[in-house]
Amino acid sequence: MSVSTAPSLQLTDYLEKLPGTTFRKLYQQPSTAFAIFRRMLPQLAKTFVMRMLFMPKPMLLHDLELWVRPDAKRQKDQALSILQAFHIVHITAPSRDRPQEMQLSPNFKTSMRLALTGGGTHQSFGVPSNLTVPTEIDINFLDRYAKKKWEDILHFVVSSVGYKSSAEANGPNKSVKELIISGRLVDRRPGGGIGITQAGFTFLLQEANAQVWTLLLLWLEAMDNNREAGLEAVDMLSFLFVLASMELGRAYDTNALTEQRRNMLPSLVDFGLVHVPHHKRSMFFPTRLATTLTSGSSSSLRSISEGVTAATTAVQTSGGPLGSTEKGSVVVETNYRVYAYTHSTLQIAVLALFCKLTSRFPDMVAGRLTRASIRQAINFGITADQIIAYLAAHAHEQMHRTALQTAKPVLPPTVVDQIRLWQLENERMKTTVGFLFKEFEDHKEYLAIAGFAEEIGVLVWRSDKTGMFFASKHEQIRDYLRIRKKAE
Amino acid sequence: MDAVDKSDHYEVGTYEETPSLLSIIIDTNPRAWAAIGDTLPLSRAIANILVFVNAHLAFSNANQVSLIAAHVNRAAWLYPSASTPNKPAQPKDDGGDVEMQDAAAPPPGSANKYPQFAQIETAVLASIRNLVDSTTKQDLDSTTTQLSGALTLALCHINKATSSMSASAVNATSESKTSDTVHMGLKGRILVISVSDSEPSQYIPTMNAVFAAAHGQVAIDTLSLSGDATFLQQACYNTGGTFLAAPSPQAILSYLMFGLIADTEARKSLVAPAHDTVDFRAACFCHGKVVDLGFVCSICLSIFCEPPENAECLTCGTKLALGNYGSKPQVVPRKKKKKKRPLNGTPAEGTASGTATPAL
Repeated sequence: MSVSTAPSLQLTDYLEKLPGTTFRKLYQQPSTAFAIFRRMLPQLAKTFVMRMLFMPKPMLLHDLELWVRPDAKRQKDQALSILQAFHIVHITAPSRDRPQEMQLSPNFKTSMRLALTGGGTHQSFGVPSNLTVPTEIDINFLDRYAKKKWEDILHFVVSSVGYKSSAEANGPNKSVKELIISGRLVDRRPGGGIGITQAGFTFLLQEANAQVWTLLLLWLEAMDNNREAGLEAVDMLSFLFVLASMELGRAYDTNALTEQRRNMLPSLVDFGLVHVPHHKRSMFFPTRLATTLTSGSSSSLRSISEGVTAATTAVQTSGGPLGSTEKGSVVVETNYRVYAYTHSTLQIAVLALFCKLTSRFPDMVAGRLTRASIRQAINFGITADQIIAYLAAHAHEQMHRTALQTAKPVLPPTVVDQIRLWQLENERMKTTVGFLFKEFEDHKEYLAIAGFAEEIGVLVWRSDKTGMFFASKHEQIRDYLRIRKKAE
Repeated sequence: MDAVDKSDHYEVGTYEETPSLLSIIIDTNPRAWAAIGDTLPLSRAIANILVFVNAHLAFSNANQVSLIAAHVNRAAWLYPSASTPNKPAQPKDDGGDVEMQDAAAPPPGSANKYPQFAQIETAVLASIRNLVDSTTKQDLDSTTTQLSGALTLALCHINKATSSMSASAVNATSESKTSDTVHMGLKGRILVISVSDSEPSQYIPTMNAVFAAAHGQVAIDTLSLSGDATFLQQACYNTGGTFLAAPSPQAILSYLMFGLIADTEARKSLVAPAHDTVDFRAACFCHGKVVDLGFVCSICLSIFCEPPENAECLTCGTKLALGNYGSKPQVVPRKKKKKKRPLNGTPAEGTASGTATPAL
């Protein structure tokens, strides 16, 4: 259930675009090497790295084949290509006289070893503050703080359409709003308001962790385009990885940071990643949003549905701090009625994107999926797959239980089909750019050329009665015509 | 969009990397460590094992670890600390890390170390010191290693962690697939770092633990630094784990990192290090001797190295008819219906129930 169009910016894509020199710089810092290892690699690749980490000499690429079972060759190749994309392994160019060798890139190897053995003086895991911690700041406080900041941001994304939540009075900071708009998670509508885009909905569907990264990467890109702020993307990224390896609930020393990194703190405060107490400016606390940056599934090919499932599990392992998806609460009936046992304005707002909500009770909303509501959602750029994925991921426990007992899918198939059909209604016409061929000399010539076009796979439409056909490309047909002419 | 009514589209994939729990059992038999002290002192071994632990934790922040010392007279928790018996079962609130006693009084943090690694290091070093300090002279009289106790502890811990994990998973994600929760919760694995011979008297409890592990799908891996760990070979074989004998113990980290880092997930696609020839010999129930050939109770399958007293099974108390074991073979007149002369009176006689048959 993957959505192919306009995926939101992902960490993998961002990192893979970076040049090798940037990686060399990143890997100088043990916490970064550690974080990329933990967050970005699939299980098999991690095992390869660990096995090679303490090898004194490069190993033959051929030997790797011996490690892996024959039937797992695909996973091996995939792991290897990811390792190469992140510049973690270096494979010598194939040549006749020497077999191909592979080894970990030197910076990564040194840093990873330091991270595991805990040596060196790199100070990349954060310098704790020696000052006394204010008593009111504990883990609960930080969780509440981060949750509020983050929900503000999510509200801003959803509140642009449908259900207006009352909690939007104090939305996120202006700079964050600008960032969301420039990142096209929402866009300005002609009427002066703003509306959610498809990227924005994809963003909402991601697990909290991926959401944070999406926003951070938007920020990094914005900063990269705007050099005068004096922030360098590589160093910013390194600092994010430092944050990720810090301990929740501990105070860290602001003065030990470079000036560049100190300048990043205000923005990070806006995102809710760190908390700086008002009266003690020289210390900062990473929140759970920051310390879990490198956790979560390492799958680099995460589709929406996996993201949503991961969101539900991520929330349970981290104790539900970012309650956009605290618990499955949505019941979908075969008669298209939708009931959601929730009082989270955020979730109601998301539901309002594609449901016609009719009544609201203290802890529940009811509504129904209608053709109009789905079409409205599709007009916003939300796809049917996304809606179905959302409903499935938030399905109520009762739905799962019945599904299990009756061995049927979680969502009623009729509803799922209908949502897809409603989307298909808008796709009755398909446009193809191409060329119309007509007015052939005789029907025989038409048949020959149309047959040729069909053979090379450029034929889109043909009508034998009128002697016309439509092809998406004309170069080969032109050449064929020329050859035909010559032969005659 | 052609696939509108394909029913697999209704299902949403639930793939997520399951966290794994590694229980490391360190054989801390003082005599054995003294014997290999020249090549690999205990302190260096511990340092190397800690690096390995860090490597395991580096895989995912949901991964957990526990360390147990199998000492001469008891099994002792190294991490999580024994002083907080209820800690491991606590719901994880920081991404799955096992919470620790001394997290309340954190050690002075260093900026060069990942905080979790530093915590484990301090805890393990402190408990090892405790263990060494509390070992008395009398303890050294016994030369066995309490392996079975440590195995049982590890299994209990894995079981507890698994059930608490899947319980919380069910509560939080409304995933009510009770039959599958054991698999999706947590994958357990035990690694035994053995330095001493297998003690025959520990055979029965060890094998009981092994079968429990096999039942719970917990793989037992072994790194044998010295000595002849016969029973552990069987343990690895039965549970689908890896047995590695280390001819040069100073390279312990290489053995660990290369052969034993892969968790059950990655092992599906990796070629496992080859098993040595597994010693399948059992130990007898009466004297704890390893036997090549012995007697087996036909009721409860207990193994004896010699016919038990009064021909009564020591385990189940069945009266066993030994037939005329030990007597000279004698020629019996041929029976009327059979054409071949049966070889009666040999020790192999024992098809009737209630007699003892020799075991291989």
